[in-house]
Amino acid sequence: MKRNALLVIQIVVGLALGVALMRVMDSRQANAPAQFAEDSLYVKAATAKRMSLAFNGLAADWYWMRSLQYVGGKIVAFKDTHEGRMDFGNLADLDLRLLPSLLQMSTTLDPQFIAPYEYGATILPEINSDYAISLLETGIAANPNQWKLYQHLGYVYWQRNEYQKASEVYAAGAKIPDAPPWMAALSARMKAEGGSRDAARDVYRHLYESSSDPKVKDMVAKQLMRLDSLDHIEVLRKILAAYSEKNARCASSWLDVRNELRAARFQIDAMTNAPLDPSDTPYRLTEKGCNVDLSQYTLVPRR
Amino acid sequence: MTDRIKATTPPASTEISTARSAGSRAIIAIARNAFREAVRDRVLYNLVLFVLLLIAGSMFLGELSAGQESKIIVDLGLSAMLLFGVFIAIFVGVGLVYKEIERRTLYAILSKPIGRGQFLLGKYLGLGLTLLINVAIMGVGVSLALAYIHRGWDPLVLKIWPAILLIYFELMLLTGVALLFSSFSSPALSALMTFFVFIIGHFSGDLKSLASSAGNVAARALFRALYYLLPNLTHYSVITQTAHGIAPDAGAIGLAAAYTVVYSAVLLAAATLIFGRRNFK
Repeated sequence: MKRNALLVIQIVVGLALGVALMRVMDSRQANAPAQFAEDSLYVKAATAKRMSLAFNGLAADWYWMRSLQYVGGKIVAFKDTHEGRMDFGNLADLDLRLLPSLLQMSTTLDPQFIAPYEYGATILPEINSDYAISLLETGIAANPNQWKLYQHLGYVYWQRNEYQKASEVYAAGAKIPDAPPWMAALSARMKAEGGSRDAARDVYRHLYESSSDPKVKDMVAKQLMRLDSLDHIEVLRKILAAYSEKNARCASSWLDVRNELRAARFQIDAMTNAPLDPSDTPYRLTEKGCNVDLSQYTLVPRR
Repeated sequence: MTDRIKATTPPASTEISTARSAGSRAIIAIARNAFREAVRDRVLYNLVLFVLLLIAGSMFLGELSAGQESKIIVDLGLSAMLLFGVFIAIFVGVGLVYKEIERRTLYAILSKPIGRGQFLLGKYLGLGLTLLINVAIMGVGVSLALAYIHRGWDPLVLKIWPAILLIYFELMLLTGVALLFSSFSSPALSALMTFFVFIIGHFSGDLKSLASSAGNVAARALFRALYYLLPNLTHYSVITQTAHGIAPDAGAIGLAAAYTVVYSAVLLAAATLIFGRRNFK
């Protein structure tokens, strides 16, 4: 009996010591220099595929979830150090250096896994669009009948302002039997007016409708909000310019242009009388009422 | 007198068929016994772990996988099915003969009119039945997990079954390998060698490319011989395709079934040959 009690004590004390040691080790790891904070993937994707035997699909899922956790973890860490603020239009600040390797690993293990290609097409251009192009070209080689991959590749070229190339890729995707007719329309639009805001809206709208990934949808929805806010700001600037021309001074508050805002069908904030941006955050007057900008609290990305 | 003898002695064909049916009964009895023993050894307890894994997967994957729950459940479920099955085939398979020798029950069995080949075949079929039940219950578990995730019918529920059948064929082939090694080696060594065969079996494609790319003629011949002699398990690996909703066609399943039967027959014949030469006196 006494011996059993001693053994139980030994187990409990041992576990407690183990936890304490883990905590010490974790804190030491957290204080390590930034260059050592991220371990690189020391196994090449092709080697991992061979080593995974019949379990390559499961290994691909693992790397896919790890990619999501990696980006999610970076966002949380960024918000923690920036008072909860995060501009999703500027993912370069997150230093996602491991993401290309993680996505490449996942797609090499399971080349028919479309989700990592879609995710990479949306996030990787923020790091280096060459990575995104390389990933998507590999995806198209492995899945030549997936028109969505052509759509994403066209999107990446469009982001790089390479409208001719984007048009060619959309046209190639449009030739796939079950591709939607708007792929051909987008190809023509890229050629004619690739840099226009309407073309951008078309690209994002189709991307939103065709994607099944909620994270991709979220990012695209924010880009659509950004385009809407650019339209808003243009109209607001015209209203403010007209007011200052008429009164020889800039507006002192949004109340001064309330009627014009109503006429332009802006949604108005009941408290401040300010027009609301697409994320329902009031716009703010800048330059002593002569100009307008997004609020610092807005969810609309700046780029 | 001669007529009376003729009348009382059964014809040769009747004798053969009686012997055959007695042989079949013996094989069935050994198989049933091997299955009962596996159940008694709590081999099917692995199902509890499997179910827990699926429940955890179904509950948490939605949070982690960004809309890929169905694919990941299929990958997870079928991979776990293969892994658990491989462990059962190896660790139970290598003990099938060894335990009978260790407990000296083999002497009692072989003293009866039962051939050593029949004994091995019975053991093989008994473990085959255990694996079949194991795999079938796991398959139902994966189907239920898919239905739960989809909150209703998911086409993958039907598409996973051809893959499950191929996993079962692979496990039967591995059981044959384990039985072959256990007919002449210790359980630890047999388990190790069977595991190596499982790994090499999934590297068959590399053996083939080595056979065509090696500079030396002898090396090419060696790799080609290894490619054809060792079991090719890559044809059974359709988990990844299945997770994308691409089920293997009937032709692929038929060929895999034929390969399993032929290769298992070879393994059992070799095991019988070796086991028949062992002296248990």
